[in-house]
Amino acid sequence: MRIKQPIKQRWKIILGVIGVFILLVIYSHLSYRQHVKNPTDTTMPNFSQLMDGIKMVTTPRENALQAAFGVVEEPSSNPIVRFWTQSWKTMIVQDAWATYSRLVKGLVWGCVLSMILGTLMGCFDGLASFLLPTLSFLSKVPGTAMLAVFFVLAGTGETMFIAMIGFGILPTLTQSIYLSARDDLHHEEIDKAYTLGASNIEVIWEVVFPQILPKILDNIRLQLGPAMVFLIAAEMLVGQVGMGYQVRMQQRLLHMNVVYDYLFILGATGLLMDKGMLSFRQWWCPWFDRDR
Amino acid sequence: MSHKVILNIENVSQWFGKNRVLHDINLKIVQGQFVALVGPSGCGKSTLLRAILGTEPPKEGIIETDGVQVIGPNRNVGIVYQKYGLYRFLTVQENVAFGPKLDKTQIYHRTCMPWHWLPLKKQQREEAKAMLEKLRLKDSHDKYPSELSGGMQQRVAIAQALVMKPKLLLLDEPFGALDESTREELQMMLLRLYQENLAAIKIGEEPPWTVIIITHELNEAFYVSDRVVGLSKNWREMPKTGGMKRGEHFGATKVWDKAAPTFRPDEPKDFSRFIPMRDELKNSVLSEVGNVELDRNAHVSFWDDLANGVGTGVAFTKGPSDE
Amino acid sequence: MKNAIFGLVAMLAVFTAGCGGEPVGRPDQTTEVETTTKTSSTSTMPAFSVASSEYPSWSTLMVAAKAGLINGSKGGKPGVLEKKWNVDVVLEVKDYDPCLAQFATGAVDAVCMTNMDSLNPALGRPCTAICPTSTSVGADKVIAVDATKPEDLKGKKVYGLAKSVSQYSYYRELEKRGLNPVEYPFENLDPAAAATALQSGSGEVKAICVWNPFALQTLRTNTQSKMICDSAEIPEEIIDMIVIGNDSLKKDGGENFAALLCDTYYEVCNRLNDTDKDRADATLTALGEDFSKLPLDDMRIIVKETRFYDTPQKGITLFTSESYKQTMETVVLTCQKIEVLEKDKPAPTIGYNDPEKQLNFSTKYMEMASEKK
Repeated sequence: MRIKQPIKQRWKIILGVIGVFILLVIYSHLSYRQHVKNPTDTTMPNFSQLMDGIKMVTTPRENALQAAFGVVEEPSSNPIVRFWTQSWKTMIVQDAWATYSRLVKGLVWGCVLSMILGTLMGCFDGLASFLLPTLSFLSKVPGTAMLAVFFVLAGTGETMFIAMIGFGILPTLTQSIYLSARDDLHHEEIDKAYTLGASNIEVIWEVVFPQILPKILDNIRLQLGPAMVFLIAAEMLVGQVGMGYQVRMQQRLLHMNVVYDYLFILGATGLLMDKGMLSFRQWWCPWFDRDR
Repeated sequence: MSHKVILNIENVSQWFGKNRVLHDINLKIVQGQFVALVGPSGCGKSTLLRAILGTEPPKEGIIETDGVQVIGPNRNVGIVYQKYGLYRFLTVQENVAFGPKLDKTQIYHRTCMPWHWLPLKKQQREEAKAMLEKLRLKDSHDKYPSELSGGMQQRVAIAQALVMKPKLLLLDEPFGALDESTREELQMMLLRLYQENLAAIKIGEEPPWTVIIITHELNEAFYVSDRVVGLSKNWREMPKTGGMKRGEHFGATKVWDKAAPTFRPDEPKDFSRFIPMRDELKNSVLSEVGNVELDRNAHVSFWDDLANGVGTGVAFTKGPSDE
Repeated sequence: MKNAIFGLVAMLAVFTAGCGGEPVGRPDQTTEVETTTKTSSTSTMPAFSVASSEYPSWSTLMVAAKAGLINGSKGGKPGVLEKKWNVDVVLEVKDYDPCLAQFATGAVDAVCMTNMDSLNPALGRPCTAICPTSTSVGADKVIAVDATKPEDLKGKKVYGLAKSVSQYSYYRELEKRGLNPVEYPFENLDPAAAATALQSGSGEVKAICVWNPFALQTLRTNTQSKMICDSAEIPEEIIDMIVIGNDSLKKDGGENFAALLCDTYYEVCNRLNDTDKDRADATLTALGEDFSKLPLDDMRIIVKETRFYDTPQKGITLFTSESYKQTMETVVLTCQKIEVLEKDKPAPTIGYNDPEKQLNFSTKYMEMASEKK
């Protein structure tokens, strides 16, 4: 047998399932051994403990402060509205909403700024020389080490999270967009645009930007991981709500079952976002994949 | 016969540091002419092209299109490159409508005044479609360039340039990467365009297309064009003030400028009409530097021929007002 | 070719730098180590591990390792006390949270933690508290700007590590004054970040509840900040102690290990209280080096706010007193209120010299340590 021999689609699926299955078996075995050592162990939760964890995070919790002050909410009669308001009180919805809304806001700021800066840097060498030393240096400083800097500069509220994600991904993303804008276009494409009557802005917006857009989307997709890392690291130190906060809290209380449940959600959502970005790119730039 | 000069190149020289590329080039192109620019590899044809286009202005001399000095690439000079001619992210129709969109409107216009822009956009799309049909590309509107063959891509690129109605169209070895039969097809297309020029003159209108085509293929040069210009370093000059100048040291200059026979698309391709001229050019302009050194002006005779009425083509054709 | 060689050399340099470096806990061999002709080696001794984080009373273990009382790592030349009790001690120094997690999974035999933080691990792994090392009498402070007394903080957010001694102490201090803790919101924020935020005067954070050294530094650098209340109001409610898992006690040599830990602690305490002032100061300085590298003067303040139970008698008295039993009931109740313990699950059973209970406060090993002098 030589390398790179294709296998049937059916086998690909079967082997994938077996791979995941083996991982689950290994974990179950470790959990079992731990429970033999210690019947009431919570650090390597077994299946029923994990289920308990899911129950805990999906149970609506009442607002203690409101209850203390005697503020009572009337549950709505409409079942859909009731489901909606009740879900909003569960740990999982509150944490996920907090984390992912921070992520999206931070990403929007970071990506828009990077796209503008990177594209302009690729088109104007002067701007590139001006910004490049700072950007390349900043992109090498590990974001998690800079958390304290963000606390001082941006406080400890929601603004801090957004600033941290935005500025965390900005240096790397701007650099990659800059390189793309600089190298991915042939001079023929640029010169021809001028002969077709384009002004400078039109060349940047109508020629350079659409051409590098698929690369930009890919680079954004690659920054989703680091952005999540910064966010979770910051949430572990700051905040009253969020996936990172909850994981840290539950770890301290040794409720690892909740932690594993949350880790699973983080992983699954991450995969979803990744695939989502790919599909988005395919939808917005259909020409890119045909080109290959 | 009005000889409106569309492109005026006067005493143009170009060098990069110690490397002298072009020397004292003079060339006047009449509106409606199809000029083939030939010369050995690396003699500076592309450099001259970039000077005409405006991306690399000459260090010495003037280049004017229709009386206006060239300062940068603009909508009056169109170009078709050998490769990377089309925008990969636009469909064929969008590619051809791209020029009118960029030329006639601005971003502000397109985003903030949709009531004005959208009907205009539709109209430009229709014009693009008409141009594509003219170049026999009826069924490719919604395809992306990557889905077309090389020959079709070049046709689209030409359509993209023509729809702008530029004063001058530059073709930089446009058929170099194509196979023989595709090349013949596209040469036919150029001949048809040339016929439009002749027809226009006959009814007293301005010929619409003025073309400079750079090519390596001598047969193509003589077949498609009505005037052949040769660049080479293979020359020497003995000025009256003494001190011989040689092409080796000073760079390439125009050493050949003569009218070429014109063909109609339906005529058989009778190369015998230009074989003697072609061979003469080959042995002089294209031979190795040092073998045969030409006198600079030995084969530069277009304007004299024109004055004497010796030749065919747009410049020689009389319009109704000339009768 | 040159590039390849350069790259290879660079990689090797990084690699060796990363592989070098000694594991934490390995002591420098000082002159205090008694050279002995005995041929005892650690390879025959049963090995036990203890996880500790940097804290005034727990850093005594690190000082003991440096002084040669224990050698702190597996194998190697045994320390003085290791030979005495015939047990090999492995000392692992890390942050507080990882210590708790490691203890709960059974990766270490013993851990240094507070009484309130022992409740959750005890549910999963029955354990015994063998030695109280200190109590917080002012080491956990509520510090604020624009406020002078706790009533000023009504409705305002106090920032500190949620579900920890910080939240506990704030809750209890409010209760003791008759205030309703529900009206005094506590927001989660890492103590280091909280101290930074208050020091830098950033908008939102106006009140924090943190422990030393953050509390000390904040009061110093932000001259407008004031201490509102502190754990001196709840003495002996927050107890720092050494806890060992019951499964480890049952192992061969487990009980000796527990006694050794107590013995080590008291030995270092003796040196801190040495009549020779220079020796005492030297030990206190060494302690400071293992507690955020604080200088001697700061350490003097620290040990006032963290009262050490530096003799076995003090420790035994605490664990056998009636007031302590009451205190633990309060601790459990409060932990349920601040959701350290889950409301609808039973709290761990607590015993005093009762090995059947999940969390057992035992005086046995302190007695063993004081007897075998």
